[in-house]
Amino acid sequence: MTAERLIQIFELMEIHERTREHAPALCTVAAEVTNLSGAAIALASPGDQFTPLCAGDEISEKLLDLEITVGQGPGVEASLSGVAIFESNLLSPESSRWMFYAPEAVALGVRAVFGYPLRIGAARFGSLILYCDQPGMLDDTQTSDAYLMASVIGRAVLAMQAGAPGEGLENEIAGLSMLDFTVHQAAGMLAVQASVPVKDALVALRSHAFATESSPTTLAARVVSRKTRYDALSGAWRDELSG
Amino acid sequence: MGREALLVATLVELADNLVDDYDVIDVLTVLSDRCVLAIDVDAAGVMLASPGGELQFVASSSESMRVLELFQIQANEGPCVDCFRDGKAIINSSLVESHERWPHFTPRALEKGFQSVHCLPMRLRGRTIGALNLFRSIQGPLDDTDVVVAQGLADVATIAILQHRSSLDANALNDQLSGALNSRIIIEQAKGIIVQSESCDMDEAFARLRAQARNHNVGLSEIALRVVDGTLLSADLDRPKGAPAS
Repeated sequence: MTAERLIQIFELMEIHERTREHAPALCTVAAEVTNLSGAAIALASPGDQFTPLCAGDEISEKLLDLEITVGQGPGVEASLSGVAIFESNLLSPESSRWMFYAPEAVALGVRAVFGYPLRIGAARFGSLILYCDQPGMLDDTQTSDAYLMASVIGRAVLAMQAGAPGEGLENEIAGLSMLDFTVHQAAGMLAVQASVPVKDALVALRSHAFATESSPTTLAARVVSRKTRYDALSGAWRDELSG
Repeated sequence: MGREALLVATLVELADNLVDDYDVIDVLTVLSDRCVLAIDVDAAGVMLASPGGELQFVASSSESMRVLELFQIQANEGPCVDCFRDGKAIINSSLVESHERWPHFTPRALEKGFQSVHCLPMRLRGRTIGALNLFRSIQGPLDDTDVVVAQGLADVATIAILQHRSSLDANALNDQLSGALNSRIIIEQAKGIIVQSESCDMDEAFARLRAQARNHNVGLSEIALRVVDGTLLSADLDRPKGAPAS
């Protein structure tokens, strides 16, 4: 059951965060939960560019750098296309894709790669990349866990970009469901108020919630009921006194 | 229109939609609307499970927060969660008696004026991919025909997810599910943009997205995406028929 799986993920996070920062801990947990060799997270920046966020181990790190450098691979493709991208055997003759990526990946000892987009609606944050040193497709459980990790990591990246306070990142993202209508509606409204893309509005909303020690849902409800808005002229959040 | 005629018309319309390219969220919204008309229920909605197993709302007969909030809660607790987990229908569950079973969901549903809930699993080749949730404002059982019709409509909803592929492998199904769920989020983001730009409410915002999609033969999700990425201005969205131009 997903609820139990999420609890396991967060327990693993707590264990790994004793020795690592949040982001690498997410990578370590992703590989552990899916029973694969390693994981890395790529962040999308404007203009379809990517930067590395973190990797769980040395090979994942090199694999991620390779992919970003050559602009080919499961992470890049997953983020750009919005769908999960798999290559279960980099050595097979059928896989002629990724001419610049595949041979180098194989040289690192990688045989199978899996990329999952990190996105929340129209906001694209990047991708989660998992690799295995053996060829083969993921089984149903691994697939489900990989998608779940991507969902958790997407929310974690949003929280990190919004300046989440150091402790309790797990509690933070554990509390949020995938779809909080009010938060997304508020992000749309804020995008117009501040003349920014929805992704930036989501981050700003999250950030203001942290800053005011309010839950994102509470803040979002205020925005949707027009009790709070962002005033572009003054560059500040405004609480309406009436109503 | 009598109930049978309405059901026939619904099935024909859905069959037409399923043959051509269509938008999953739009079809599921139509389905939810027709549930309310064809069966003795007051609200209907569909929740789907992400490939990671997280249950999320995708479509409903009403965009009002009164109804949407009940689907929000059901990400974690409620008839949809049980129905999805067990793959079994929940029929004639009286809310008055379900405080222990669903301690968070029940009071919220009661305060919104609902008295009973029903939930039909959406199953595809041994896998439950979601649930069709029905709400009534009165107590008492659904009649047997209504239950059969409801499961039939849930089955049609499930086929809609297949998107006219006769054999859908697990990966393609996962793409479909995660695409539909993500599209719903884009729709909510678009609603916010429209509400702010056009000074209308969320219901009207959704109605305009639908009107634009219908009139121009483009998918609802695609229209929402264009609003969010700025290629379609809120002001340029069609209005639903009968709505006054401001």
